Amino acid sequence: MKNRLRVLRAERDWSQADLAEQLSVSRQTVNAIENERYDPSLPLAFAIAKLFHLRIEDVFAPDGEPPPEPPPLPGWQPE
Amino acid sequence: MATDLHRRTLAESGALWFVASAVGSVSGGWLTEQVGRSLVNPTPRDFAALLVGFAAILLAGFAAWKLARAGMYSWLLPLAALNLLLLRPGRSGDVATWRLEWAVMGLAWTIAAVLVFALLLRRSDELERRLHLEGAFFGLALGLVAAIVYALFETRLPPLRAQWVAVALLLSWWGGFLECARRYRWRA
Repeated sequence: MKNRLRVLRAERDWSQADLAEQLSVSRQTVNAIENERYDPSLPLAFAIAKLFHLRIEDVFAPDGEPPPEPPPLPGWQPE
Repeated sequence: MATDLHRRTLAESGALWFVASAVGSVSGGWLTEQVGRSLVNPTPRDFAALLVGFAAILLAGFAAWKLARAGMYSWLLPLAALNLLLLRPGRSGDVATWRLEWAVMGLAWTIAAVLVFALLLRRSDELERRLHLEGAFFGLALGLVAAIVYALFETRLPPLRAQWVAVALLLSWWGGFLECARRYRWRA
């Protein structure tokens, strides 16, 4: 599964350890998710999405599909 | 700077505590056994050796506790295997008090192992649990294959000791854990 975890974390200037602490997992687990070696459980995926105030599909995308796009900014209208 | 990084990485990996505990176990066990088995008329030197032996065993326990406290439970598997090798209750002779002492020690170790395992399951996160599950499965599968191979050549091989089986299972569990950790880049 693809994800934007590294980008989202970098935007907030958090280290892997900071993120791991907020999610109550180990730093190594955050590293494995970021490297797309491990797909988190549904509760952990929900916790990640909630932490970044996003929906799960804004953070994760299934294999074979394009990586998740960042959500549009508030107030943005399609042409 | 590279040396500092190397030193920090070594400390963070738990390898130093593992080595301290292993050296403490082996040297402490050897010293106390030597003194205990040859102690007829104790001299101050014997007492000193006994004290050093006990201190080494305490160091081993402290290092194992540090590993558990830091959540580096995987190191406890080879440590348990090493200590199982050192455990030789058969050498205590057929004396009731020695047998009782070994039984009490064995019970204490078993309770400690169960407590550590329960702590491991409670404190580890979902990926670490998965690594241990896959590692244990690997160890069990390897043990099964080894048992079948042993059964095929049973008449030509030395008799199997239960202690060796336990050590082999623990080490193959650890090996499976390390392989899974590499696959998931868990140690990176």
